[in-house]
Formats: sequence, structure tokens, C-alpha cells
Amino acid sequence: MLEVKDVYKTFSSGYVLKGINFRVDKGEVVAVIGPSGQGKTTLLRCMSFLEKADKGTIIFDDYSHDMTSISPVDIKKIRMDMGFVFQNFNLFGNMTAYENVCEGLVTARKMNKADAGKIAKEVLDKVGMLDRADRYPGELSGGQQQRVAIARAIAPNPKVILFDEPTSALDPELTGEVLDVMKKLAHEGTTMVVVTHEMSFARDVAKRVVFVDGGVVVEEGKAKEFFDNPKEERTRQFLKRTMREY
Amino acid sequence: MSDRLFDILTSSFIKILIPGIKVTIPLTLLSFALSVVIGLLLALVQVADIKVLKQISRFYIWIFRGTPLIVQLFIIFFGLPNIGITLDAFPSAVLAFGLNLGAYNAEVFRSAIIAIPKGQMEAAYMIGLSYPQAMARVILPQSFPVAFPNLFNNLISLLKDTSLASSITVIELFTSAQQIAARTYEPFALYLEAAFIYLIFSTFLTWLQTYLEKKLVWKSKGGSDEEDAGRNKAMIG
Ligand SMILES: Nc1ncnc2c1ncn2[C@@H]1O[C@H](COP(=O)(O)OP(=O)(O)OP(=O)(O)O)[C@@H](O)[C@H]1O
Ligand SMILES: [Mg+2]
Repeated sequence: MLEVKDVYKTFSSGYVLKGINFRVDKGEVVAVIGPSGQGKTTLLRCMSFLEKADKGTIIFDDYSHDMTSISPVDIKKIRMDMGFVFQNFNLFGNMTAYENVCEGLVTARKMNKADAGKIAKEVLDKVGMLDRADRYPGELSGGQQQRVAIARAIAPNPKVILFDEPTSALDPELTGEVLDVMKKLAHEGTTMVVVTHEMSFARDVAKRVVFVDGGVVVEEGKAKEFFDNPKEERTRQFLKRTMREY
Repeated sequence: MSDRLFDILTSSFIKILIPGIKVTIPLTLLSFALSVVIGLLLALVQVADIKVLKQISRFYIWIFRGTPLIVQLFIIFFGLPNIGITLDAFPSAVLAFGLNLGAYNAEVFRSAIIAIPKGQMEAAYMIGLSYPQAMARVILPQSFPVAFPNLFNNLISLLKDTSLASSITVIELFTSAQQIAARTYEPFALYLEAAFIYLIFSTFLTWLQTYLEKKLVWKSKGGSDEEDAGRNKAMIG
């Protein structure tokens, strides 16, 4: 479904991605975990072209592109089939929850308002936000904003949704409502890539877990196996450290 | 106060007020409209980082902010005829004030646009919007309330600066006061009167600003000022 190969990315601070390979298959939920500052966000941002990779290939829907020379038209085409859920929600401040969800359908996909409205109501209902559809982001809690952001991402029915630590900006008591929505999507067979520090989500919901450290994939495997029987020493240390925190 | 002076002031009040309403206000509004259009265009090409246009924009701002307004006014009205472009006094004034304030409004818009957190543009891209769509639908609507107070400050400055148009024969508020002052030999009283009428106009604008700001914040963000500032901070962090 979505695959990137041999991706490199440097910032002024140095190499962040050092030839990383990553793939997600149709209907699969992949959790990306790893220590802070090791390139997880950068990987998602390169896959969605919010950041330009220095080198790498992306294969989306059987079409292969060089990530350094892909055209704006092809980027837009891929983004039409790709949802992104940000750590900080990034709901449009000038629009209500309902308008946030409709925007991508009406303005980007030229859907008529009635059809878009029907979809908007469906997805807002799915995330439990239909009763607050006419609220502005400033009038919603973080958890509610993130649920609206998820509704906005799923409304165009994208082929894959990328989540960048969707719960880490939330107060602990609000993470549950967002994780529940994500579980629901996972059970419906949505293709998802989830960067997360929520180990229980990675273990219980993800099919596959990818451990990123030092700008490469150190280890990956089926979720159960990965947690029960990690092979690499770095993975074991990371798991030991994080599991103790939880 | 002598009866004569009192009569002069009351009879001149209308004579100064009428050109104020008929000339100063249209001059202010037309120049301001022009300056907003120019300012917005100059700001957009800068933030869009369109190479050549960005340089032209910086150059424009450099020129119009770096030279006196009255000199620009004279160049347009007295100077341009030398190269075959002759404009009436009023359009010359609109052009000079509009071009000049455009340079200042460009900076107002530019800083208001870059004040919007980067995540807004990224989210717009990720739902499939193009750059122009994202600008028009997401960024500019949120920049406008940010720019509004500074735009309005510039409008109030402009109202007073239009008095410079008297120097290129536009018969506006101040020109009328000058003429009556010359005729009656009462410059002190008449210029005070002119100042008073400007003050009435600018007081009205100040009141309008307060009123519109309240409406604008409410409509565009649907929350109180404080809540909103908090939300923006959270998005940057
Ligand atoms: N725009 C940028 N400019 C410079 N350096 C950056 C930029 N974005 C990220 N970095 C650096 O790249 C490294 C990897 O960042 P990244 O955000 O991908 O890490 P992460 O794995 O997502 O970490 P976290 O778990 O804390 O979110 C960090 O050292 C970070 O400081
Ligand atoms: Mg991150």
C-alpha cells in the first residue's frame, strides 16, 4: 500500500533518517515506537512530503516515485489518499468542527455541500462529536479537538492515515477517548501508521510494531512477538525503560 | 470670546465640515482601499516566496517607506506631467496615499500571516488543499483579525495625513480651513476648529475599531480573546 525505501534526511543538527525502510500493507495497523528525537516524526513528515527527504523512494498504490524529484501534482495526488493526524490537532481555527471536516471534501475534492455534509455528520458521529459539530476548536477540549481532527482525516476515506503521537499533547484523562476512536478505526480495517508512546495500544491494537532508533529501523515484528520476545539488545533496553514508566 | 469670532467659528464650521465629509472622507476611504489591495498583494508574494516578485515587493517597500509622503505626492501631481502623465489633484492624492500606505500595510499583512502557526498550513495541505486554497480558506481568514488593529491604526493615521493633499490643490477639510483663515485673519481659531473636526472623525473611527474588533474576534474564532491566545500557544508548542 505505502512503502518508503532507503530514506535519508538531514537537518542542520545532523542526520535524522539514515536509510530507513518502512512499509504498511492494506488494512494493516503499524505502530512506530522508539526513543525521543530518533526520527519517528520526521519519517511521517517525509512520507507525507511535509518535509523533503534528501534521498529515498516512495511506493504508493503501486506507483513508485523518487522522493527528491516527485512533482507537486503527484504529491497532491498522494495526499488526496492520505490522512494525517497531528500531535497538536491543527484544526482550522476559523472553522467549526463541521466546517473543518467538510473543507477537504468541498474545496479540495469539489464535492457538493449536501453530500459533504452527509459524510461530515457520519464521521463526526463516529468519533462521538456530532453534538458539538458547530463548535469552534477554541471551544473544545484537547481530546475533543483530536477526535474532530480524526474525523477530518477519515472523511475523504483515504487509503492510509498517518498518526503522529495523537495523544501525547493531551491530559492523561483525555487520551482514552482518542485511543477508543482509533481502536474503532483499526477494527474496521483502516490502514494506519501510528507513531506512539502508548505501549498498550501498540501491543493490543497494532498488527506490527516497528522500533526506530538512530534514524533506522532497528527491529520490527508482529506485535505480540515483538513485545514478548524482542531480539535486539537496544529494543530490550527501550522496552524495559518504557514499561517501567507505565 | 468676541461676537465676531463666534460668528466666524459657527459659520465656518459647516464650511469646513462639508469638504471634510465630501472630500477628506472619500479620499481616506479610497486611498485605504487601494493600500489594502496593494499591501495584501505585496505580503502574499513575499510569504509565497516567489523569487522575482518578492524582490520587487521588498524594493517597493524600501522606496515608499524610505521617502517622505509629501515628496511622493509632489512627484505624482507636479512631476508626472513632465513625462506626459497628467492626473487631477484628487486621483493623484488617492494614488499617492494608497501607494504609500500600501507599503506599510504590506508589513502588517505579512506579519499577521506569519503569525499563524505553521501547522495550519500543513493540515490544509494534508486534506488536499493547494497553496492558494490554503491561503484563501485557512490562513488569510485567521490573519485578518490579527492584522485588523494595525490596519485600523494606519487608517486613522491616513485620515490625518490626507491634510497634506491641501498642498496639491485638493479642496479638502484643511484647505477650507486655510482659505477661511486667510480671509478672516483668525488662523488660531480656525486651525483649532479644523483640528477639532479631524478629532471628531478619528474619534468615530476609534469607536468603530473597538466595535468591529469585538465582532470580528467573536465571529472568526468563536471564543474569547484569552482562550484563543492559549490555543495558539498550545499549537506552537
Ligand atoms: N525542522 C527541524 N529542524 C532541525 N532539526 C529538526 C527539525 N525537526 C526535527 N529535528 C531534529 O531531528 C531529530 C528527530 O526528530 P523527530 O521529531 O523526528 O523525532 P521523534 O522520534 O519524533 O521524537 P519524539 O518522540 O520526541 O517526537 C531531533 O533531534 C530533532 O531535534
Ligand atoms: Mg515526534
